[in-house]
Amino acid sequence: MESFRLLMEGFATALTPVNMLYALVGVTLGTLVGVLPGIGPAMTVALLLPITFSVPPASAFIMFAGIYYGGMYGGSTTSILLNTPGESSSMITALEGNKMAKRGRAAQALATAAIGSFVAGTIATGLLVVAAPLVVSFAISFGPEDYFALAILAFTAVSSVLSRSVVRGLASLGIGLTIGLIGIDQQTGQARLTLGVPQLLDGIDVVIVAVGLFAVGEALYVASRLRHDDPEIVPVGRAFLGRSDWSRSWRPWLRGTALGFPFGALPGGGAEIPTFLSYMVEKRLARGVAREEYGKGAIEGVAGPEAANNASAAGTLVPLLTLGLPTSATAAIMLAAFQQYGLQPGPQLFDHNPALVWGMIASLFIGNTMLLVLNLPLAPLWAKVLHIPRPYLYAGIVLFAALGVYALNASWVELIILYILGLLGYAMRRFGLPVAPAVIGMILGPMAEIQLRRALAIGAGDVTALIRSPIAASLLTVSLLVLFAPLVRRQAKRPSPTA
Amino acid sequence: MSSVKEPAGTTNRDAGPAYSWRRPELILALVVLGLGVFVLVGTANVSAAASSLGLGPRFFPVLVGFALLLIGLFYAVDVVRGGQGDPEESEDVDVGARADIRTVVLVSAIFLAFAVLLDLLGWIIAGALLFFGLSVVLGATRRLHAGMIAILLSTLTYLAFVKGLGVTLPAGLLSGVI
Repeated sequence: MESFRLLMEGFATALTPVNMLYALVGVTLGTLVGVLPGIGPAMTVALLLPITFSVPPASAFIMFAGIYYGGMYGGSTTSILLNTPGESSSMITALEGNKMAKRGRAAQALATAAIGSFVAGTIATGLLVVAAPLVVSFAISFGPEDYFALAILAFTAVSSVLSRSVVRGLASLGIGLTIGLIGIDQQTGQARLTLGVPQLLDGIDVVIVAVGLFAVGEALYVASRLRHDDPEIVPVGRAFLGRSDWSRSWRPWLRGTALGFPFGALPGGGAEIPTFLSYMVEKRLARGVAREEYGKGAIEGVAGPEAANNASAAGTLVPLLTLGLPTSATAAIMLAAFQQYGLQPGPQLFDHNPALVWGMIASLFIGNTMLLVLNLPLAPLWAKVLHIPRPYLYAGIVLFAALGVYALNASWVELIILYILGLLGYAMRRFGLPVAPAVIGMILGPMAEIQLRRALAIGAGDVTALIRSPIAASLLTVSLLVLFAPLVRRQAKRPSPTA
Repeated sequence: MSSVKEPAGTTNRDAGPAYSWRRPELILALVVLGLGVFVLVGTANVSAAASSLGLGPRFFPVLVGFALLLIGLFYAVDVVRGGQGDPEESEDVDVGARADIRTVVLVSAIFLAFAVLLDLLGWIIAGALLFFGLSVVLGATRRLHAGMIAILLSTLTYLAFVKGLGVTLPAGLLSGVI
């Protein structure tokens, strides 16, 4: 058990007092920012990324793992206690969770979410420990054409799955690819699309893109249609579970984990599909009390989707760490965090930086446990965060967005770029373009380009070099299917114009 | 983009699955088309001479540029034919409300003024003005309260990030004082 030994060494790294402190700061900040209404996990990670810059890499990633799980968890508190659903991954939780809260069972809803997240997160992180070395040993033989095909699959999957309209997903992807092109070409040193602005020579930093599209875009969008009535927030005490709630929760937790992990690892899978599937599965399996309560606040409808949500968060880390392939917007920002430290996730990372990778994986277990300890007694405190008056909340989000971007290079020009991206994020929200494909296109675009040029250079310009390996050929075939399946379905459904 | 050409016979038709050129979303489709042109034209002067082996630095941008033109075209056709994206739902957003453009313009003006004046005024003053301005525009009624929070927040972030985390923020007018 080579990976078990490495994991134990990882625990040795993560369990030093300093790194435990970083993990604690990470989960606390992650949960705090994640609970804030209007802020999803991707925005949480982007806003908190600059804080990790002044920390050595191993500690930074331990803190980052805490932020990631904390941000994922924070969203569920919001959707249970606040009437309206926020980020799409915890939208399903709101369906039953908020109804439970309104019937006076907020404490149980929060507890099943917290304990379910812990159970799912721990099992799924264990699966990550098992799966990662397998994928690494498989991926070690990947050539550039295989990596290019993987990137194409990630592009098509995220554009086609996350959006109801494929053309809107692709438009978002194209915007991201264009942003990724800006700056000096890594192979030849030639400046591209910089418009003579010197600040653009190094490309636009991913923090600026993510914070602009998510935080500033959201603030502008909220400004355009702010809800003026006070939101209805359910008061809550300490979170706890009764005996019958335990017996009703544990099966949905396990089923949710089984759904969440594989979908999280698939390109375009993310958290939306498994949480929805888990909700439907629990609905179908509901018997007796659960059947009567479904739709009025059944605990199964919170336990399953929350477990699926957290398991998918761990699943996302499999392709991210082993292949360098982000499958969600949050993962794309995590990839950028690695790149900030000059690290490229992939099979080589496990070879060259085992201490860092396994320290981070070990800290996922630790962070998960901390979240459980933190969230059961602190639920009333998180509930208070929801009462922040909205004008202060969004003014604060913009202030911290500006702070994070200015902290990068101390340049006011980048604040203007931040605003332009914010305007783009506003337009995308207003017209229903998904933001995730843009973020993934921006991060993965430059990598796809390098691998494409490498593959074609090896093949001496012969385009068939891209499909010479069976892996690349099948990945590209799947990409085509993913892209055209929704179009075919829609054509079949559309009534004939003469009718 | 607002000079809309209207084909005869499409006036007064309900917004729905009818053909129309009067859709704000068309602007976004045109932005995508425009980006395609920008990528193709903007990289025209990038010469491939620098690389003797493999493909030059223009190959991938050309692919992206043509893809953008194609996507933009399909997008525009979809919008004109009545296709609509779903506006994103969010905790604090009233999807049914009419877009309040005035607030968006005010928020934009405050942010841009902040960006330009930050180095001159320093983080504490500019940050406080940004927070105060935005919270008032977004509907904070107690101005004294908002002002106090603004000063507190910008001062605390300055101290935490500059003294604590070693991040560079401008001191501006207050340099020497703090």
